[in-house]
Amino acid sequence: MTKVVVIPEAFTLVHFESGRIQDLAAKVAGLVGLPADVEIRIEVEEQSPLGRVRVESIDPITIAVQGGAFEHAKKPRQLSDDSVVDVLGRVFHRIKDRLDPDFGKPPPDAELTLQQATAWDAYCVGRSDRLGLHPSKARRLYHFRNRHGFTDVADATFERLWNAEHLTWADIEAACAATASARQPA
Amino acid sequence: MKKNMPPDELARDGRFVRVNMVERISDPRNGRGPTGGRVGARLTPDRPGAPDAARALMHGIFVGEIQALEGAGRTCWDFEVGAGSDDVPFQLKLDMARQCWDEARHCEISVKLSEWMGTEIGEFAESTFLFEAACNPDPVLRLTGVNRALEGLAIDVFNTMKEFGNVVGDPVLEFCEDWMLADEVTHVKMGSDWLRRLTVDDPERRKRALEFQRIVDKLFSGGGFRGDDEDSPVHLARRFREMAGFTVDEIDEISDLARQARAEARARTAGATAGAAAEAG
Repeated sequence: MTKVVVIPEAFTLVHFESGRIQDLAAKVAGLVGLPADVEIRIEVEEQSPLGRVRVESIDPITIAVQGGAFEHAKKPRQLSDDSVVDVLGRVFHRIKDRLDPDFGKPPPDAELTLQQATAWDAYCVGRSDRLGLHPSKARRLYHFRNRHGFTDVADATFERLWNAEHLTWADIEAACAATASARQPA
Repeated sequence: MKKNMPPDELARDGRFVRVNMVERISDPRNGRGPTGGRVGARLTPDRPGAPDAARALMHGIFVGEIQALEGAGRTCWDFEVGAGSDDVPFQLKLDMARQCWDEARHCEISVKLSEWMGTEIGEFAESTFLFEAACNPDPVLRLTGVNRALEGLAIDVFNTMKEFGNVVGDPVLEFCEDWMLADEVTHVKMGSDWLRRLTVDDPERRKRALEFQRIVDKLFSGGGFRGDDEDSPVHLARRFREMAGFTVDEIDEISDLARQARAEARARTAGATAGAAAEAG
């Protein structure tokens, strides 16, 4: 089973349990198909109620999480299992792609454009959905439209990414190019 | 039917979960990071989390619309028609009835807009602060707190969301916010007009009403959520506020209150952090 380390071990500003995050992360890593011999380090910034998540490195696997990403939307400062699973399902698929030499060489997370990140997310979250992790497709579609335009081309591209398996980084870039040309004024 | 119904008796189905103001204000994370709680810093499309921040803000607007409908409805019912200090003119009730009509329409718009934005009803917690301001037993204070302070805040929020919709190219968001914004300007103007008419011979009562408005304004500018500062998530919509009967001095005062509220929140956090460090040491 994948080893997961959660930082900090004890939370003081929010009512999170690192053990619970570890259990959920190990379960999702197994479902996504991350190698069993990797160690995953999840660094939670508990003072932030915002929800940004970033893969800081893949060797070793290090994920930086703003506390709001794991928080229950209806119960301030409480951990939400659904949020943890939703976030990690997406991020672990991204890591799986990065570890796959056939996927290609995407830029580091910090250098992704908003369009690239959102297109890749649609591909990742679609796969999470098929694993039974129950992410919100409507939420992801709204994200996608915000970044790729409120056009029929953007909607069709989103559907394609959501339903896809075995894409490459070149496919993600091609999807971004397709929506970019549809955003140009006629 | 009872008069002056308390906020905890508001009818909601199982999708809604309530969070109280004390919980929000006493959150030890306040003031440690960017302003605006879950919404974060200024709502601009270049922020990676902007779509989610817009969804959370829109859900806040939605529950605010429900409470505005409930509040205006209660104001129609809670007071008798007459000239006494506990009474209201019949025309004020007519204005509140018109506001109910607007707010009911806003609820329907908000439900459909939330669905468009990928948000489920009740996805985020509900705070009943708007209805709490609508529980003031003095009709003048109630209208000043709700129609001038909170509907004024609604002007700022709708304008911010409308601009966001325009920049990201979301025509549904932009037009929905624009239509609701037009109504909010009318609601604030009602508050401004009734405040002046009902206190024309009672400067003490006007003073109390404006003080109540200041308290509400300051509470909801807390932590820098709304203000004139560059990183405030919601900006003061000066032009629309002027159309709604605010003077430039009054708008400047709200801006100052927001800055003051933000400084106080930061001082509270600094105090709590120092206290925790001393305890640990």
